[in-house]
Amino acid sequence: MSGSLWPLVKLSLARDRRSALSSAFGLAVGVASLVFFVSLGLGVGAIVREKVFPVDSSLVEVVPAQLSFGLLGGGTLDEATVARLSALPGVERAFKKMNVRAPAVTIYRGDFFGRPLHMGLEVLAVGVEPDFVRGDVLLGEFVDPGPDKPIPAIASTRLLEIYNKSFAPQRSLPQLSGQLLTGFIFPIDFNRSFVTSTPQSASAIPSQAQLVGVSDRGLLAGITIPLEAARRINAAANLDAKTFTGVALKATDPSRVPGIVAAVKAMGLRVDDQERRMSENAGAAVAISTSSLALLSVLICLLAAFNIAHAFSASVRAREKELGVMRAVGASRRALFRLVLVEALVLGVVGGVLGTALALAASLGLDLAAVHLVPEFPFKPDSWFQRPVWLLGGGVVLGVLAAVAGAWLPARRASRTDPARVLAG
Amino acid sequence: MIDARQLERHYDDGARGRLAVLDGVSLTVADGEFVAIVGRSGSGKSTLLHVLGGLDTDYRGQVTVAGTRLDGLADAALARFRNETVGFVFQSFHLMSGVSALENVLLPARFAANPVGALHARAQAALARVGLTAAHGARAPGQLSGGERQRVAIARALFSSPRLLLCDEPTGNLDAATADEVVALFKTLNAGGLTIVAVTHEERLRSAASRVLTLAGGKLS
Ligand SMILES: Nc1ncnc2c1ncn2[C@@H]1O[C@H](COP(=O)(O)OP(=O)(O)OP(=O)(O)O)[C@@H](O)[C@H]1O
Ligand SMILES: [Mg+2]
Repeated sequence: MSGSLWPLVKLSLARDRRSALSSAFGLAVGVASLVFFVSLGLGVGAIVREKVFPVDSSLVEVVPAQLSFGLLGGGTLDEATVARLSALPGVERAFKKMNVRAPAVTIYRGDFFGRPLHMGLEVLAVGVEPDFVRGDVLLGEFVDPGPDKPIPAIASTRLLEIYNKSFAPQRSLPQLSGQLLTGFIFPIDFNRSFVTSTPQSASAIPSQAQLVGVSDRGLLAGITIPLEAARRINAAANLDAKTFTGVALKATDPSRVPGIVAAVKAMGLRVDDQERRMSENAGAAVAISTSSLALLSVLICLLAAFNIAHAFSASVRAREKELGVMRAVGASRRALFRLVLVEALVLGVVGGVLGTALALAASLGLDLAAVHLVPEFPFKPDSWFQRPVWLLGGGVVLGVLAAVAGAWLPARRASRTDPARVLAG
Repeated sequence: MIDARQLERHYDDGARGRLAVLDGVSLTVADGEFVAIVGRSGSGKSTLLHVLGGLDTDYRGQVTVAGTRLDGLADAALARFRNETVGFVFQSFHLMSGVSALENVLLPARFAANPVGALHARAQAALARVGLTAAHGARAPGQLSGGERQRVAIARALFSSPRLLLCDEPTGNLDAATADEVVALFKTLNAGGLTIVAVTHEERLRSAASRVLTLAGGKLS
């Protein structure tokens, strides 16, 4: 419809270079701060979700009621209850869990990945159905091998992280990976404790455990072993080997979880959502701080838009005669509207790209600094930021939107320039 | 070239009430004419020129210029008409500051429906037509004399090869010698077939015209 306005845009921006630069810079500050904080929020959120509190959103942890309901037998987790739980609508599968109800210790004397180690440790153990952790087993079959062979055991991913980042460095022990640990055999004595006196009736049950993998589903402060092994040890220690200490319900879909939770509670059982709550709380804290910083950044962008509105108002007023001449030589109202808006668009793109680049540079710089300057600690990430393409594109779009919003009214005023009035001699 | 009938244009002017600037103005200008319009200050000469050039739309009556009926035309069509069919020359030049004279001359191309290539060559040709060189074109308006500036403004008006030149006091800001040169330029352009309507106070421009009309009391005679 009209010729190329581009040369005019260039001319006008070049002529008002200082004002243009300051407008673009204001935008860049707002965009940079938004991209930076959102990138940080995404990064920290992901660390919380994936490393610190890795919660499977389709798992419901059922535990027995605190009080048992006497004759009715409600509140305990026996086979019949588990059968009812697995029949609940939305439940794909129920995984039974049974704690080793006897205390246990490990006393290790010997070579520990190249270091001499002498250590006695109280150990907790939980037995789970093999399928519950099958995906994380790296060695052999995850089944009870019987009394004389090492029991396959799974360690917690998070425990390993805490070991590597705080426990090991302080004691100059080697760094371990799941791969490296696999196959490691250590002694474990059930029915023995350093901290409580063990019942006289039962004597210690010496045994061995062999690490076969690490898993997010592993018990945080202990080891996870096959259900049958836990059952066997409990029986040998004359303890309850029938009722379960927990059942993990796998929902067909995360959206079914609330319904399952309600049904479980109606059965007189409890749901252990401590982990989920912690994860949600931490996630919410990150989300809230990210949102408030993002809001602040949006305010900065708003200020930048006002700044542009102000600058463009002044510029349009100062160019009144010029705009009138443009009308005289053939500019339509639309063309003048577009001329001013394209000027703003250019500033928006420049400010958006500059701001996004600044935020990227800052986040990369901080990541680099963190690697070298921040000491190791558990869950210390390689990167504190996430830089998805949509965020980078969004930064540029935000710059453009703020600029165009700011220039909208001045552009309209430009389009309404009355040439007869401003040019009359 | 121009056929205007019963033009009425008034301003609502607070204290004085309704001010009828054009009160039934009719005007016919043939192709190739050079018409001067005179009248006292405030008699509505500029207003009439703006109506004829499609810059003002707030009037009653009929205007046809070079075969285009202007009254009732939409903004985009009027813009195109101004871009292609008429050229304006103003008393105070109204050049864009901070850009070269050449860039000023090709301003109409920036708003043309189909800008034809070789813009710079065409702008140079327009400058040559008004007696300026490429060196003049490279300078900013601030580095040109008043007469040269008005020539640049005329070159801009000529850039799109219009059929009608509308001039509002084109010599008003020039000294006598320079004004004579500009008038001579108009005569040359008119001799080349360009229709010119010029508003003026000045005798030299009036005497160059083939016809002189007087605007007074909202009427043309
Ligand atoms: N926007 C406006 N609002 C109100 N009155 C206006 C407006 N523009 C022009 N006028 C009035 O209309 C009348 C005609 O104005 P116009 O500019 O056409 O006069 P002119 O003949 O060109 O005068 P000059 O020789 O001084 O340039 C003047 O009295 C002027 O005050
Ligand atoms: Mg006038």
